[in-house]
Amino acid sequence: MRPGQVRANVKPVQPPFSPVLLLGMALKPVRPALLQPVFDGVLKMLRRRHPDILDRMADYASKPVCINPVDLPFVILLDPNPDDPRLTVRREIDPQEVAATIHGPLEVLLALAEGKVDGDALFFTRRLVIEGDTEVVVALRNAIDGAGIDLINDISAELGPLARPFRSCASAAVDLLGRIQDDIETLRTALIAPAVKDSNAQNARITQLEAELKTLRKAARRGGVA
Amino acid sequence: MTTAQPAPAPLTRPELVCPAGTPAALKSAIDAGADCVYVGFRDETNARNFPGLNFNRRELAEGIEYAHGKGAKVLVAVNTFPRAGQPEIWHRAVADCDELKADAVILADIGLIDHAARHHPNLRLHLSVQAAASNPDAIRFYADRYGIKRVVLPRVLTVQEIAEVNARIAPIETEVFVFGGLCVMAEGRCALSSYATGQSPNINGACSPASDVRYTETNEGITSELGGFTINKFAHTEPAGYPTLCKGRFIANDKASYLFEEPTSLNTLAILPDLIRAGVTAFKIEGRQRGRAYVAAVVGAFRQGVDAVLAGKSLPDIDLDRITEGGKQTTGAYEKAWR
Repeated sequence: MRPGQVRANVKPVQPPFSPVLLLGMALKPVRPALLQPVFDGVLKMLRRRHPDILDRMADYASKPVCINPVDLPFVILLDPNPDDPRLTVRREIDPQEVAATIHGPLEVLLALAEGKVDGDALFFTRRLVIEGDTEVVVALRNAIDGAGIDLINDISAELGPLARPFRSCASAAVDLLGRIQDDIETLRTALIAPAVKDSNAQNARITQLEAELKTLRKAARRGGVA
Repeated sequence: MTTAQPAPAPLTRPELVCPAGTPAALKSAIDAGADCVYVGFRDETNARNFPGLNFNRRELAEGIEYAHGKGAKVLVAVNTFPRAGQPEIWHRAVADCDELKADAVILADIGLIDHAARHHPNLRLHLSVQAAASNPDAIRFYADRYGIKRVVLPRVLTVQEIAEVNARIAPIETEVFVFGGLCVMAEGRCALSSYATGQSPNINGACSPASDVRYTETNEGITSELGGFTINKFAHTEPAGYPTLCKGRFIANDKASYLFEEPTSLNTLAILPDLIRAGVTAFKIEGRQRGRAYVAAVVGAFRQGVDAVLAGKSLPDIDLDRITEGGKQTTGAYEKAWR
């Protein structure tokens, strides 16, 4: 399966129960080509405002990377060729097309792009999974982190007179998403409460059995009855 | 009749020396309270020569301007060992630091130190941890012979030993690591990564270079490899770590264990008062290869910690577990709790 290790229907990171997951379900029937103009606009904005990203990726011009937001029904192909960079949205990608893949929930990927979370910490805790060529992923992470991206500021700066209304809308959307996330978390907690109760009881029982086993092993080592 | 105890000597404010792998991280570090940042050029002249990381000359000039505008300093690490017969890029790096008015260069190689002392007499020289100078005789030699002003101490000394070194080398300054990844080997002399990858951390500037690292997801968890060697296997419930050989989990006597060192990070927040009383001039945070979120979190925590100690307040309780390798922390050799 190497080099890029993109596997159809495989999600190395479990998508969190979130508004993005619900949005992803709603987007399933949408053809990726309809979303392409959004990604073209994002790339244009990044090239204009953060040219250093491609500069830092110059040694990896021929190494496309697949970015897999695990809660959305599509993947993004980043081709960092400085002469003709591309950000393409696809339903899926042939692993031979890419050097590496980054899997993670959309919220985590966006926070990483804005330098709000540490990529290594995400990796240590498995909220982010990388496969394939580690070098190009590290280069991309450093290039993006070093650019100091602030999505709302960056997009606002491109909108001229529409910047102020955009900021208001973006701020309202972030607040709304936060409230929906809280509601979803409440719902999730309620739904899994019985299972959590059972699990806690089982954990307590396992701890007790482990303690008993330890005692028996000690007794066996001293020559007693095991 | 009781004798009045002499008042304790006032504590000297240590500099907080913080990592910056990119211009954005430099700004994050300074905005979070760094007194100094240390950086490297985008080549093998520094020991964090990682893909996509570090500064070109324009970025360094802008970084120095930003730092000086905020009253902070910029130190440049030129702390790898020049290849025999090819010292040009190392000489160029030192000359550019002088020209761009960096506040100091951090050097390890004795030949490069000699070159810098002779050709750039006004450039302040610090001795890198890569030089592994850990006793007063070695430190004084660098100071007497080349005018080294500060030594970054290897992470092998207890706090008491650091205090004794400081007493014997004054006025040479010492800088000690207070947070971040740990090297269990003699720094600047480790060949483990070279053995596995053919690239030397001490010359090429990257321990466990990303080009030789591979992570593979399996049903059981994640397997990490370096240069084709399996270094570790983490279950899904375990925190993952970097595939450095010194922190690998190997099978010996039928038991898999960390033979050299567990994936653990240094954290000295709890012993900051002792380190300040030991007369250390500067506290260094490791992690130029980490993102600006790490930089902001750790610098902010240590700024609060140092300020609290100097103000006679209790230390802040700040949880940095989430950003540490292995999710575990240690005070390392400073306390040598294993003895």
